[in-house]
Amino acid sequence: MEASEEAESAAQQQNNAAQRRAEIRRRKLLLNSEQRMKKIVGFSQSDADSARVLEPRLQLDLDGMEACSSKRLSPLLSESLGSVSDEAAADERSVSPRRGLQKYLSRFDDAMKLRGQLSAEKPAQDSGGEEELDSFCLFRLVCSVALAVFVRIFVCQYLSIFAPFLTLELGFMGLHKYFPKVEKKSQTTMLTAALLLSGIPAEVISRSMDTYRKMSDVFSDLCVYFFSFITCHELLLLFGCDAS
Amino acid sequence: MAAGFNWFFVLSSVFLVNLVKTLLPSISSFLSKIFQKDADQEMEMRTEIQNMKMELSTIGMMDEFARYARLERKINKMTDQLKTLVKSRTSQQAKMKWIVNIVFYILQAALMISLILKYYAVPVTVVPSKWIAPLEGLVAFPSGIAGGVGITCWLVVCNKVVAIILHAVS
Repeated sequence: MEASEEAESAAQQQNNAAQRRAEIRRRKLLLNSEQRMKKIVGFSQSDADSARVLEPRLQLDLDGMEACSSKRLSPLLSESLGSVSDEAAADERSVSPRRGLQKYLSRFDDAMKLRGQLSAEKPAQDSGGEEELDSFCLFRLVCSVALAVFVRIFVCQYLSIFAPFLTLELGFMGLHKYFPKVEKKSQTTMLTAALLLSGIPAEVISRSMDTYRKMSDVFSDLCVYFFSFITCHELLLLFGCDAS
Repeated sequence: MAAGFNWFFVLSSVFLVNLVKTLLPSISSFLSKIFQKDADQEMEMRTEIQNMKMELSTIGMMDEFARYARLERKINKMTDQLKTLVKSRTSQQAKMKWIVNIVFYILQAALMISLILKYYAVPVTVVPSKWIAPLEGLVAFPSGIAGGVGITCWLVVCNKVVAIILHAVS
């Protein structure tokens, strides 16, 4: 009888202890709920600590400023405002390193993609993947040669040889739309990759490349024109047909 | 008469240089074949691996496991050796290509510099200066002779024209 009573009391004590422990655990969980939520959302402990560290300093500053001024706001209101602004500042500080890290990672991804593109396009470039002479390009070169010969024979005595060339280029600008447009595939080179990674928009790069391509076309026409003119002049001198 | 052919001499030099430039890949592969020692060995290894694979396909793995495994180990070992050989050959080819390119560019630079020094004060050809107005100063650089075509202008023009011609032909 007594033994059973003792056993019952021991069991009751055990139950009470277990209940007490459960109660302590429950309270502990409830106390740390905010931290746990922050962890789930992604705020690290260090951010929380730094925010907590900043708070008293800022509060002190605010309190100091309040003391210097005419103490218009009540202490409670100033404290709450300070804590809200502190939280916002802490939030901003925690978000900005993350944003910087994300920006860095995205730039790194872009760099890796561009590297892959470069390595993929290098064999094509090595195996002679240069642009073929399209019909308009060929037309320009032939016209430049023909004009150079014409200018040497008939025009050069009267005016500079560059004036007819400029007229020819103006004519090309107008004739360009009557030729089939060839879509030139933009190749990723080291230069374009470096420009992209430095933050210059792709649209600006492509427009600059277009302008550069047009200028190089004009330069090619000028070289062919001048070369044809000089060669024609020398051949005429060689065969003694110079009438100038 | 000789002075009248300066322009042609420069043009032929530029043409020759650009022609050699287009032939550089062939030259480097030819030279790497000459200096390559293990070409036969590589071919033998490939043939042997092929034969062993054919033999492996005739052996049943369940029936003669030991023989199968032995042969497979031999194949793997020889494949690794072949990979090492191919790697060394590829690196040798790349080195040869690099050396040939470097030598070519040095020779090209030397030729261009020598042409510029030779025709520094002498234009390659002379035309009436009013023909090339208003760019006579730029065209005559560095000779400074009115109506003359300077070496730098002529080199640039020839390089561009020869590049276009070779590109169109190739």
